Amino acid sequence: MAAAESPSAALRRRDLCSRGIRLAGKMRADVVDLLDAYVEQQGLDASASVAAVEGVPLAAVERWDEQTGTQRLLENLAAYRAFRALLAQMLEEQREQLGEADAGLGRALAAVLLQVSAFAYHLEELLRLESRGIPGEEGDEEEDGPPPPPRLSLFEQKLRGLGVLRELAQWAVRSVRDLRQLAKPSPATGAASGLAESP
Amino acid sequence: ESHTQYERVGADVTMKCGSMDWDAAVTWTANGTDIDESHLNGSYLILKNVDLSQSGQYSCYEGSSWHLKYQTNLRVGTPPKEPVLMCRSNNYPKGFYCSWHLPTPTYIPNSFNISVIHGTKDMVCEKDAVPKNRCHIRYLQLFSTVKYKVTLTVTNPLGKNFTTLTFDEFAIVKPDPPESVVAKPVPNNPRRLEVSWQNPSSWPDPESFPLKFFLRYRPLILDQWQHVELSDGTSHTITDAYAGKEYIIQVAAKDNDIGTWSDWSVAVHATPWTEEPKHLTTEAQITETTSASTSSFMAPPTTKICDKGAVVGSGAMAVCWTAGLVVAAYSVLFI
Repeated sequence: MAAAESPSAALRRRDLCSRGIRLAGKMRADVVDLLDAYVEQQGLDASASVAAVEGVPLAAVERWDEQTGTQRLLENLAAYRAFRALLAQMLEEQREQLGEADAGLGRALAAVLLQVSAFAYHLEELLRLESRGIPGEEGDEEEDGPPPPPRLSLFEQKLRGLGVLRELAQWAVRSVRDLRQLAKPSPATGAASGLAESP
Repeated sequence: ESHTQYERVGADVTMKCGSMDWDAAVTWTANGTDIDESHLNGSYLILKNVDLSQSGQYSCYEGSSWHLKYQTNLRVGTPPKEPVLMCRSNNYPKGFYCSWHLPTPTYIPNSFNISVIHGTKDMVCEKDAVPKNRCHIRYLQLFSTVKYKVTLTVTNPLGKNFTTLTFDEFAIVKPDPPESVVAKPVPNNPRRLEVSWQNPSSWPDPESFPLKFFLRYRPLILDQWQHVELSDGTSHTITDAYAGKEYIIQVAAKDNDIGTWSDWSVAVHATPWTEEPKHLTTEAQITETTSASTSSFMAPPTTKICDKGAVVGSGAMAVCWTAGLVVAAYSVLFI
């Protein structure tokens, strides 16, 4: 049972949520533009089905409306942290493939990466507000860290990139929805939409 | 016992009189009316190149005894053409519905079977009682990039056909039009009209899934619409109405983030407040049509607002801004 929120904390939360919504909205618009540019530059078919690639967080979720506020924040944070790493990798691959040949795409990728990092930080702020411990990042766990993924062929890299950007675009929409749920005033009993203690 | 027989339009139909021999003496009737012997080949009834009007009850009676030997209900029709299928989510995020119809009637009973696949998963589309050619499905997952594939098969005794639709979750989101659109004059304001509306009642959660709106209005006497896009709120004040002119106003809705615009709402009419009964000198004020170039399409990708402040003199001039592109319309005033 969550204690009633102080008015200032509630205000701060709503402020963070509305800023987060704007960030996510802008991020989504940029990802959609990037997707179009990416598909064109990489010579891909926009309607190609890409099988779920390991390591790419899927935005798809069941019983979305039943999630608690904390669950939403944690899932979002885990996703954007993963995207941060994936986009950095894509940027690296991009530079290797093309050198300076396609600076435009590289710049667009870097811009999105920046927004993803900013959004991840924003999510951490929201978690901090709820006095939730911020989970450590995957990279910290040296002993059980996953082995580096096998080197992909150029074409596989391109398809993977397509999958990454598509899921990121979905996540950006989901994040807007999640933050709107979070921004709703939570009832005293800490029902699903509010930031109740997770069971 | 009675039978039903389905035949294609244009087919040649031969009906046998049950187990009677070919050379038996029989009488055939169609819907109670005797059929001329010229259509008989022995005891067989021959109908060539049947058309729809020949559907009906055909009966065969033994010559002398008038015992009923055979009866069939002939239904002339066509096999189904490819059905027309449409799927839409007007109640996002709850689910979506699909509805279908045949482009041309078959004149015989058809049965429809619909299958919905999401990735590898089969989903059940529950048929609505009313309307009949419609089914609805609840989303089990949200925010999925995996496409939905809907296949509709239509079957009748003369053949079958099918069609398939593939789409993703966001693409089919289209709300119903806004409801309860009301437009009122503003007292002591000859150029204003206050418009208000409500979210469509089918949209389940406008708080979490807010809608944005698109308003269009024009005086009845002009053809070109003015457009305003509104990212929140369910009301708007028009401030550049032509004094004394009756206006027609409509509103459309769209999810803030995904999908497409709804159809236009029911149109409402309103005339701005006037101090006294209108004199027809206002005719002279409008000689050129305003040339808002973006009013040729329904839902612009960028916000377009008619600048309320740019009214010059006592005349009718509306200036509309579109993301840095200025389209100015001038009317010549006659005094």
